[in-house]
Parts: sequence; C-alpha cells; structure tokens
Amino acid sequence: MDTFASPSRRKHVLAKAACIAACAIATLLLGLALTSTAPAQAHALEVEACTASPNEDGGNRILGATPTRVTWRAHSAEDESLSRITLAFADGVELSADKVKVTGLSGLDRVELNAQASAPGDGTIVIDMPEAAPAGVSFLVEIYNVVFPADGGEFQVAATTEAADGTVNELGPLGGTITVSGVSVAEGIAAWLNGQGWVQAWNSNKFLHLFFDPAIIVTSIPSVFNGWLAALGIVVIAFPAAIPVGFVLALMRMARFRILRAVAGTYVNIVRGTPMFLQIYIAFFGLPLLGLNINNFALGCCVMALNSSAYLCEIFRAGIQSISKGQFEAARSLGMNGVQTMIHVIAPQAFRRVIPTMTNELILLYKDTSLLAAVGIMETVMYAKTITAATGNITPYIVAAGFYLIVTLPMSRITRAMEDRTGTHKVALKKKPADKEPKSVTKQGWSPDLNAAKDELAIKTADL
Amino acid sequence: MTIDTTKSIIRIRDLHKSYGDVEILKGIDLDVYKGEVVVILGPSGSGKSTMLRCVNRLEEPTSGHIYFEDTEITDKKTNINEVRKNVGMVFQNFNLFPHLTAKKNVMIAQQKVLKRSKEEAERIAIEQLERVGLGERLDHYPDGLSGGQQQRVAIARALAMNPHVMLFDEATSALDPELVRGVLDVMRQLAKEGMTMMVVTHEMGFARDVADHVIFMEDGKVIERGAPDEVFNNPKSERTRAFIGNIA
Repeated sequence: MDTFASPSRRKHVLAKAACIAACAIATLLLGLALTSTAPAQAHALEVEACTASPNEDGGNRILGATPTRVTWRAHSAEDESLSRITLAFADGVELSADKVKVTGLSGLDRVELNAQASAPGDGTIVIDMPEAAPAGVSFLVEIYNVVFPADGGEFQVAATTEAADGTVNELGPLGGTITVSGVSVAEGIAAWLNGQGWVQAWNSNKFLHLFFDPAIIVTSIPSVFNGWLAALGIVVIAFPAAIPVGFVLALMRMARFRILRAVAGTYVNIVRGTPMFLQIYIAFFGLPLLGLNINNFALGCCVMALNSSAYLCEIFRAGIQSISKGQFEAARSLGMNGVQTMIHVIAPQAFRRVIPTMTNELILLYKDTSLLAAVGIMETVMYAKTITAATGNITPYIVAAGFYLIVTLPMSRITRAMEDRTGTHKVALKKKPADKEPKSVTKQGWSPDLNAAKDELAIKTADL
Repeated sequence: MTIDTTKSIIRIRDLHKSYGDVEILKGIDLDVYKGEVVVILGPSGSGKSTMLRCVNRLEEPTSGHIYFEDTEITDKKTNINEVRKNVGMVFQNFNLFPHLTAKKNVMIAQQKVLKRSKEEAERIAIEQLERVGLGERLDHYPDGLSGGQQQRVAIARALAMNPHVMLFDEATSALDPELVRGVLDVMRQLAKEGMTMMVVTHEMGFARDVADHVIFMEDGKVIERGAPDEVFNNPKSERTRAFIGNIA
C-alpha cells in the first residue's frame, strides 16, 4: 500500500508538509481499513467534515423527509489537482443538483473553480471541474434540498475523486456521520408543505401564518386528536351518569315533601348559579387538601356529571310538567300508582320531548370539558395549548376549534331536525280536539285556578 | 236491564268542592244503583264534571262523603288505587298514551295494576278493541286514529279493567259530529249489557234513550232529577225547561 501519493505532476515540492499530511492520511486510512471491507485506495484528499444543517422548527435536530443542506469540506493535497468529485449518499436520500454551491479556497483566497454539479439519479452528486482545480485547495460543497428518509438513521457520504490525470481515488465515507431523526407522517407532510411555494406565500401573510399555518395544522392534528378522544371519553362517561341523577333531582323538585324539594332546589340553584370553572377548582384543589386523591380523569368526569345533572334536572322537570295533566289523570284513573304512572306513562313521553334540549345540554357539556384544561387534564384545549406554547403559533387552537365543531355542528343540526319534528307533532296533537263550544266546558272540569293546577300536578307526580 | 235498587254502587252525600273562594259544588246527593245509567245534564260551569271527577278522587272533595260499594272514597285511609281499578273513566280529550299503540294502551294497566300476564292482557285487549269495533287498529298509535277511534280505544282501555262502574266525562264533546255516533253506539251497547254508568253529556238524544235517571245541575246544585220522560217532557224548574229547549 502506497501511502505516499505518487502524482506525476508536482507543482510545489514541500516534502515536510507532504510527510505530515501523509502521516495523517495514513492514520485515517488505518481507521478506515478497520471499518471498511472495501479495498482502500491511495488518495491525497483530506475530508475535513461532512455535516447537515438542522431543519427542525425551533429545534436543532436534523429531520428526515425534510429538506436540509449538507455541507462537505475537504482539502486536496499539495500535489493533487482534481477535475471531478463524486459524493455518494445512501439509498433513499433524495438529491437535487438545482442548488449546489462549490467554493474553492486557497488560503484566504477564493479560487475560481467553474464547477458544475449534476445528480445522475444514482444517489450521487457529481461535481465536474472542466478546468481542473489547482492543487492544495479547500473545497466547500454545499448541497441544498437534500431530503433524508422519513425513518431517519445514521448517514455517511462517500467521496470519489478523479484527478486531472485520470487517477481515481475512492475515499469511502469520511468526514463524520449525519444523524437524522425520524419523523412521523404528519411531520413529513408538514415538512413537505413547508417546502411548497404556495405555503410559503400563504405564510408570508402574518395573520394566515399565525392562525392557519398549514404545516402546524398538520402536525397538531395527531396530538389534538388525542385530547379530543379524552374529551369524548369524559362526555361519554359523565353524560349517561348525569341523566339518572338529573331525573331523580327532577322528581325530588316536584315531590310532595318539602325537605326533598328543598334539598334538590338548593343543589340545582347552587350548581347553576356558580361558574363551572369555580366548581372544578373547588373539586380539584379542595379534595386533595382533605386527603382525597382521586384520579384526575375520574374526578373530571364526576364534576362534569354533577354539574350537568343540575341542568338536566331542570330539563326533565320542564319535560314532565309539559305532559298534559290528562295523561296523569288517565293513568291514575286506571288505578296506576304514582311510580307506575311516572315510569310507564309520563317518563317515556317526557324523555321523548326533551331529547332536543338534552342534546343541547350534551353539546354544552362537551364544550365545557375544555375548562378541565385549567387543572391539567389532557383534553383538546390542553394539547393545543402545549403546542402553541412550543411554537408561538395560534394554529393549534384553531385545530382544537375544528375538533369541537366536527361534533357540535352535526349535533346541533340533529337537534334542530328533532325540534322541527316534535314541533309539527305538537301542532298535530293540538289540532285534533279542536271544537268550538266544548272547549269552555272542559275548562270548568279542569282546575280553573292555575295554582291549584300546579299543586295538583305536584301531588300527582309526588306519589312516589 | 233491570236495576238492582238494593245495591248502590255509588252514594254521594252532601258533596262540596271549592277552589279557593269559588264554590263549585254546593252539596250534592246522588245514588247510582247497579245496572243504572245516570245522565248528568247542565250548562257549562254547573259542576257536572267536577262531581264526576270527585267520584274517583281526581278532584279532592272539600267536604261530604262518597261511597263506592262498601268503601268510603272520601276517607283518607282508603287506598284510592284499589277503588280506581273498579271505576272506569272516559275523558273528553281521550287521554290515550301517545307513545303506546292502541293495543298497548289497553294492556298497560292490566299488566301493571291487575298483574295480568302479558298474554292474558293482550288477549283481553284484543277482545275489548274488537268489541268497540277497532279489531283492525290494534297496532296503530293514537296519532294515527281519528278522534272517534281514539275515544273508543279509551273506552276499551277502561273496560279491560272489568270496572263496576263507568264514568263518562263529556266523551263525545271533542269529536267531530260525524264521529259522535260510533262512540254513542258503544255506550248504548254498554248500557244494554247492564253496565252501571254515570254520563256527563250534552247529547240529549242519548240521555232520552239510554238514561234510567237524569239529573240536571246548575250552579253546583242538582235542581231537577227523575226519569228522562219526566225531566224532558215535564221539567219542574224554569231553568231546566229553558236549557232543554235551547239544546233540543
């Protein structure tokens, strides 16, 4: 193995320097020989560094699937004049020769190289210097828009040089390893988006960039989605739990016994009369002080359910009171007791009638899960907040808004449809017993005094 | 059908009912015997319906006594549900349960109150609905029935409980004229079969034909009572004469 390069043309004879260089190269080559199975070739080019610039938004990692700039620096030997440098990348690295800058420096002077880069598509960048570079030149090759695979990994760049006299040196991978972090699909799409002209144009508008940055939309969707699932989970647990509680409260509010009425009335008035935000604070900071440490998610569900039950109570009460007195009378006249009347006659009708209002309450409850962000429950808003804190961009909140809307818009549409239907239903019911004269006759049979009618209703519903 | 005057089904004694300061019933006395059809006439606001509704305590009497067979209804200790089982009632507005089909309307109280099995309740429901001419409408919801059909379902619903007495509270007043006859026919049939009935109505023809006993009420009091012939042809009070003259 000839470590002393034997160039045919010597322009500068500096034996000492050459000797030091040769020693250094020998050391490098030894290292190379240990790691590489490829037969080491004689060379004189010293690769100083091969790096990629970080391309992470607000970070210093090098991400896959995201354009980056690879910088390759090398120094040719004092007796070496190169006409071609080929840089070989690993499989899967996307290369483009559109923007490759080759700079030559001799000492502090810039050397005119007239280099031309091409990317033949075999994973290499070929730099041709038709006039052959002078010997002893520092090469700085900057390759823009290099896209490493999305999976990430360790990458090295192998260099092959061709001297003006036709000598080919395969240098192998020198200059260090580029560590590329893998990216998720979303990050990959975001990186691709950021490379698009229209996205850059879009983002040049401050408002659009801050509120609707396409790349941040894409990257926040997966994590905000997790929060959305948590919010849905809370609703799915809390709402069904609130329904029976609300129903019992409604019956208590209409009960004959004053104490029951008072208990339910107080509860409903307090819960409806105070902000839910405050209720959450009291539960989340009060209970631990009492030594009760409940899982945050469970406690969140409890608070939501208890709050919602107060509203449902009033909805059910209104629903039950909207059922005509005749229904109670018919059921009671058949010998049914209060409980039977409620279960088999009143409740089924009342439930049907309050489904639209209940759906509204469900929408409110769903939106109110956002308040749980204040106590650190990882739901929709909390996830968005975290990303916003990291990026300084409002877009994640907009994404969170989208996640709310995909539930609330269809639900309010359904509610409206149901309201329309029950509306026509009511009209149809009202029309039937429409007769001129008997109407006044009926009134006489029914309690003419409104208060008496109300009391009567309270009695009827309270026989439980 | 003979009336058993030894066996009173309902006895009303000195019945008073007030709403606040307004006195609706000012002392009513009435006996209804087994198999008897009592028709209660009178102008609007005279207290006919209130009196009827006191009989199954849908209205709480202010004072006085009502007896159903051997039970005092007005006694607070009486289990009113036990009494109501045996007292069928038909309302002006039908009050069918809108969430149940005709058949289920007739079944529900049988199952829940009389604890009849589903099969038995269903059998009786079909039987009763056929009896009122609605064998074809078993699975219709009240919304899909005419007023007259709804009222007949309501009658079947009450009959399915095997009541000892039926109360009709202006059963035909909410019906279009052409639908009245079907309901009245059912009521006539019931009377013929010996059902004890208290009927509040404005149907003079029905009262004349079917009633065993007619009472005329005004201003919370009974001002005329007797056999239909007497009341219609030879009323004692001027007021009754005027009323009957107006309607007939």
